[in-house]
Amino acid sequence: MGGLVEQQIVDALAGFASGDIAALDRVVAADHEVNAMEVAVDRECSTIIAKRQPTARDLRLMMAIIKTITDLERSGDEAAKIARMAKQIFERERMKMPRISDIRTAADIALGMLRKVLDAFARLDTVAAAAVIREDQAIDDEFRSILRQLITFMMEDPRTISMAIEIVFIAKAIERIGDHAKNIAEYVIYIVKGTDVRHTSFEFIEREAQS
Amino acid sequence: MPNFWIQPALRLGGIALLGLVVGLVWDLTAGLGVVAAGLLVLVVVQLVYLQRLQRWLDDPEAAVVPEGWGAWNSVFSTLYRARRRDEASRKGLTSALERFRQAAGALPDGVVLLDAGFHIEWCNSAAEAHFGIELARDQGLLFTHIARHPVLADYLALDVGAMPVTMRPTQNQAQILSLQVIPFGAADRLLLSRDVTAIERAETIRRDFVANVSHELRTPLTVLTGFLELIADDIPREPAVARRQNQLMKEHAERMARLVEDLLTLSRLESDSVIAPSTRVDVPALLDHLGVDAESLAAGRHRFRWDVDPHLAVTGSEQELRSVFSNLVSNAIRYTPAGGDISVTWRLQKGQAEFAVKDSGIGIAPEHIPRLTERFYRVDTGRSRETGGTGLGLAIVKHVLVRHQAKLEIDSEPGQGSTFRAVFPSRRVRHLDTAAADTDPAASTG
Repeated sequence: MGGLVEQQIVDALAGFASGDIAALDRVVAADHEVNAMEVAVDRECSTIIAKRQPTARDLRLMMAIIKTITDLERSGDEAAKIARMAKQIFERERMKMPRISDIRTAADIALGMLRKVLDAFARLDTVAAAAVIREDQAIDDEFRSILRQLITFMMEDPRTISMAIEIVFIAKAIERIGDHAKNIAEYVIYIVKGTDVRHTSFEFIEREAQS
Repeated sequence: MPNFWIQPALRLGGIALLGLVVGLVWDLTAGLGVVAAGLLVLVVVQLVYLQRLQRWLDDPEAAVVPEGWGAWNSVFSTLYRARRRDEASRKGLTSALERFRQAAGALPDGVVLLDAGFHIEWCNSAAEAHFGIELARDQGLLFTHIARHPVLADYLALDVGAMPVTMRPTQNQAQILSLQVIPFGAADRLLLSRDVTAIERAETIRRDFVANVSHELRTPLTVLTGFLELIADDIPREPAVARRQNQLMKEHAERMARLVEDLLTLSRLESDSVIAPSTRVDVPALLDHLGVDAESLAAGRHRFRWDVDPHLAVTGSEQELRSVFSNLVSNAIRYTPAGGDISVTWRLQKGQAEFAVKDSGIGIAPEHIPRLTERFYRVDTGRSRETGGTGLGLAIVKHVLVRHQAKLEIDSEPGQGSTFRAVFPSRRVRHLDTAAADTDPAASTG
């Protein structure tokens, strides 16, 4: 499921960069596969909990999986959203603003976070998970810089406003993917250490991860 | 075997004899007592050695091999020899296994060993790079948890032995991998991954090339068949129109001929040996002829300036170099509007021979420059067709220059003109000696 979501995001961003409408349509159409996987994994988890009554780490693993698939499914939704927005932009007109570089940077960070956190989940590697949480800051910075750029464009030429708003949505979707990756990283620490590190400071998280 | 029994028989016989002697000298009870004591000592001794054997077997590596007595000696040494033999064969096996691993590790293709449940058993470093695996950490993990590409999951879920599939790994989109699963052993699988990026790229280039060639050949053919249909149907044409149409047919037929010619040149360049011959080419003489041709092609519409070093020659193929120089000069003529300047330079520059054509033509935008030498690449489709280009000229130039270890340098600014430079390496530079001047009739008579 993680792999499918990763591929969806990659495809959506590639479609956004190249303007390939057919590829963007495929991303939107494939979103239901991600949804179906979430439902299937959810059912499997409840079956395991009902039949085997897992305890301690196994129970934490079950809980974390149930939460992780929600975050993954939402990341998949964000990919579909990026594809839909990009399609609107390209169907209306060719874009005439330097959009790719900053969005591309943010998207690469988000994708890297998702990949690293899924690796950390597979390896139950808390140190790598903590590193992902720290990376989220970079995406937030990148998002703010994209926003600032777009505001400049909009003030210079009001005709770009509708397009800029769509790009804002795309940037926001990328930023959300980073947030979802961060959530999953917190579940990884929860599985291994048994401590809930949501809504705590970096320093606490890193101490927990290395303990 | 008899050896084994001699010593114990002697010992037992000795004890029995001693008992008999004591029994005869003293009485029967004392004799039996001596025999019992002797047997007891023997049993204790055997037990002590048995215990030593046990201690040795418990810790065969560290403990010293026990010294034996009697038959024990041969038992200990036989065991010791057996152990040495085992150790040696184990070492041999380990090193053989290690060699196999090293051999598999050195393969350029990725190899992953998966067990029946798709857990990673072993992989080589190429596979680590392809799938983002770290063997030391990920051994025993589910393969599809690390390499999460949907294509991969679907492929592994299929029945084994399926056709290879290709995928682009998520972490490196530029790469294309070809994957194949091969079943081995009871239920294990061998996953092979091969980097086919270069092959795919070559395939794309080949496809584009065929499409381009067909397109380029079809255009003149359409014109020709169109007019030929008119002629075949005997539709009356006014003489002026007929002349014009015949002229067009001729032009298009010539264009096709040129295209075929260029294609043949390219294919010959590709099939010939990689390095151009090292015969000396008299470039100044070559440029002399070229100059006449060029000025007649330009028909007085351009101002030419020739600056040729008369003593500078290079080694290579004369025919190929002529096509390079004439392609570059005719490009300059084609893309320079009437009244423009074209200057051709042939000189020694920092030990290297440099052929430069500078024009004051339309120039080339920077984004086109890296792609100019691609076959059929055109900056402006309409313009280069109307001036009669085949789209292969610079591709031929590049091929020839590569064969001469020379470089093509392009400087250009839109609206300002372009400079094309062919730079030949110093090892191909030759000096034309003054022998030519000596045989000059003017010199000998004067």
